Amino acid sequence: MPNRPKRSFRLRPDLPGGRALFKGLAFASPFLIGFAVFFAWPILASGYYSLTDFSLFQPPKFVGLANYQRMLIDAKFWKSLYNTLFLTVTGVPLSLAIALAGAHVLNLPVRGQPLFRALVYLPTIIPVVAGGFLWRWLLNAQYGFVNEILRWFSIPQPNWLVEPAWGSISVLLVSLWTVGGTMLIYLAALKDVPQDLYEAAAIDGAGPWRRFVYVTWPTISSVTLFQIVVLLIAYLQIFTQPFVLAKDPGIGSSTSSGPGDSMLTYSVYLFQNAFLFLKMGYASAMAWMLLVVTLAVTLVLLWSSRFWVHNGRARD
Amino acid sequence: MKRTSTLDMASLATATALGVVMSFAATMGAAAQTEITFSYLWGGVEGEALEQIIADFNASQSNIVVKGVSSPDTTKQLASMSSTSGSFDISDNFGSNVGAWASKGILHPLDDAGIDVADFIPASIDQVTYDGKLYSIPIAVHDYQLIYNKKLLDEAGVAVPATMDELAAAIKALTKVDGSGNITQLGLGYAWMPTTMTVLGYAFGGDWNGGGKPTPTDANAIKGVNFYADNVVRPYTSAAVNKFIAGFGPYMSPEDPFHTGKIAMVIDGEWRSASLGKVEGLDWGVAQIPAASPELANSTLVEVSTLFIPTNSQHKAEAAEFLKYLVSPPVMAKFSHALGNLPARTSLLGDPIYADLPNYAAWLDALKSPNAKSFSSAPYVTEYVTDLGSAFDAVVQGTQTAEDALKGVADRSATYAQ
Repeated sequence: MPNRPKRSFRLRPDLPGGRALFKGLAFASPFLIGFAVFFAWPILASGYYSLTDFSLFQPPKFVGLANYQRMLIDAKFWKSLYNTLFLTVTGVPLSLAIALAGAHVLNLPVRGQPLFRALVYLPTIIPVVAGGFLWRWLLNAQYGFVNEILRWFSIPQPNWLVEPAWGSISVLLVSLWTVGGTMLIYLAALKDVPQDLYEAAAIDGAGPWRRFVYVTWPTISSVTLFQIVVLLIAYLQIFTQPFVLAKDPGIGSSTSSGPGDSMLTYSVYLFQNAFLFLKMGYASAMAWMLLVVTLAVTLVLLWSSRFWVHNGRARD
Repeated sequence: MKRTSTLDMASLATATALGVVMSFAATMGAAAQTEITFSYLWGGVEGEALEQIIADFNASQSNIVVKGVSSPDTTKQLASMSSTSGSFDISDNFGSNVGAWASKGILHPLDDAGIDVADFIPASIDQVTYDGKLYSIPIAVHDYQLIYNKKLLDEAGVAVPATMDELAAAIKALTKVDGSGNITQLGLGYAWMPTTMTVLGYAFGGDWNGGGKPTPTDANAIKGVNFYADNVVRPYTSAAVNKFIAGFGPYMSPEDPFHTGKIAMVIDGEWRSASLGKVEGLDWGVAQIPAASPELANSTLVEVSTLFIPTNSQHKAEAAEFLKYLVSPPVMAKFSHALGNLPARTSLLGDPIYADLPNYAAWLDALKSPNAKSFSSAPYVTEYVTDLGSAFDAVVQGTQTAEDALKGVADRSATYAQ
C-alpha cells in the first residue's frame, strides 16, 4: 500500500493549500474576531454569571443554581412571563394574518401601488423609540387620535395606557404598527408563486379561496415558517415598545411597568434586574432561561414544519 | 504691484515668531489645566442655573476646567460607572441610592475630601453614610407638604384641612363629577406618584423602612394607602379616575393638572415654590400634611439630593475640589435658591436669600419636624421602592386590596438580599 501524504491543517502560508486557508482566515478575521469578542465571549460569560451573585461592579460570587431557583418563587418573573407569552401568542398570528392579507392587497395591479407599498413599509424605518412616543399621544384616552376615530363611529373608547386591561393590548397595537416588513416579505413570496399553478387550478374550477388553500398557502409555507420564527423571537424579546409606553406620565420615570404591571415584559424585567437593581447574575439567569425557551419553541416549530411546509410545492 | 521690502519681511517674520510663541504659551497653559466632566440629572431651567455655577467656578481659578453635561438618564449614568474609565468625574443622584451603590464599590469615599460635615443636616449625612464611610455629599434636601389651590377651596367653601377627617371631607367637596359620571376636578391628585402614598403612610404613624428593613405591612402605613383609595378612588371608581388622569399634561409643564385647576390639592415637594409662583392666575397655598392624630403633626418624607465621585473617575482630586466648591455655603445657597430646594446646611436654613420664594417657609419648617422620616440608604431600596410603586398602583387600580398588595411586597422583600 503506497504511503499517502499526511494532510496538514497547520497554517503553512508557504504551501499552496495553507496559503489559501491563511488568506481565507485573514479575510474572515474581522467577522471571526468580532463574533468572538462581541457574541461568543459575552454569551459564555453570561452563562457563568447566571451561576453567580454579580452586581457588575464587584467580582462575581458563585451561588450555584440559586438564581434559577429564585425564578420559581418570584411573582414578578411569572407576571413578566405571562405578559410576554400573551403578546407572543396573540401577536404572532395577528402579524401573520395582517401581513398576508396586506400582501395580497399590495399585490393587486392598481395604479400607484409602489406608493402604497412604501407607505406600508414606512413605520418599519421609523425608530421604535420615536414611534413609541408618537403612539403615547395617539393613544391618549382624552385627546388621542385613536379614540377620536372611535368616537366618530360611536365605538367605546378604551383608556389605553392607564387601564391594566388595555396595557398589553396597547403594546400589541404599537408592535403591529411595524408589520410592513413582514408584509413585504410575503409580497415577495406571492410574486414567486408560479402563475401556471393558478391557471391550472382555475381550469379545474377552483375559486379564490381554494386557490389560496391549495396553491398560495403551500407554496409560501417555507416563507411562513421563516416569518413565524422571526416574529416569535421578536415578541419573546419585546422591550422598547413597553419600555417607552410605560414611562410614568407624570415624572417620566422609566422604572414604571405600566398600569397593574401590564407592560412588564420579560425583557423589561430582565433590564430592571440588570441595570436598576444591579442583579446581573439573576438577569443573566433570566437571559439564559429566555434562550432555552426560545430555542425549545423554535425547535418544536422546525420539527412541526415537516407536516405543513411544502418547500415551494402546491398541495396535491 | 507693491514690492515686499526687507522691513516688511522682517516684520512678518517677527509677527509669525510671536504668534508661534503665544500659541505655544497658550497650549502650555491649557495643558496645565485639568478638564473634568460634571454629568448632572437636572435639565431645563435648573440645568441653566447649574451651568452658571460651573461658569463661576471656571472663572474663579485656573487649574481645573469643569465641563457640564445635562444627562437625565440614570441608566446611562450607571452604565458609565461600570467601565474602567467612565465618561464623567462627578455627578448627582439621591441619598436613597447611596447604600446600594456604595455596597457595590461604585462610589469613591469622600471622608478625606476635606469637607466639614458638621454644618450639614444630620439626617442628610446619615443617608449618605454607608458602613461608617461618607460616599456622597448632600447638595439639597427635600420634603413634602400639602399644596392647595386657594381659589378652588374658596369656591367650594372648604377650609385648609388639618386632620385626616377634614382632608377626607375636603377631597369629597373638591371632587366634581358631571352628569355623565365623568370626573371634571379631582380633590387630591397624583395617584401615580408613590411619594403621595408614602407620605400618607407616615401621616398615619406608619413606617415603610422601620429599623432599616422593609416594613410594607406596617398596619399604620397601610392605613395611609387605604385612606387614598377610600377617598380619592373608590367613591368614583378607578375607571373614572383613570379616564380623568389620562388627559393630564406632563408634570410641571403648562398643562400640569394642578396648574390648570384640574386638581385642587397635591402632596409635593419644595421645588414647586420656584415654579408655581410663575404660573399666571394660580393662587396657591401650602399647609402641613394633615395628621391622623396631634402627635403625628407635620409628618413628611425627607429625601436628599447628593453629589458623588464615581470610583472610575480619572480625576478624583480635581472632582473633589469642585465638589467642595459646590457645597460651600454661598454656592449651595445660590444653587438651592435657583432650584427652589432646601439647603443641606443648617447654617443656611434661615438665610434671607430664600425670602423671595413663595410659601417656602412651610417646607423649611417641616425639616425640623420630629415626624420627618426617610428611607434608609440600604442596598435593596431601589428594588423596594419599585415594588411599592407596583403595589400602590394595584390598590389604585382596584385589582388588589392594600393588605394583599403590600403582603406581596413583603414576600418579595425576602429575596432582596439574594
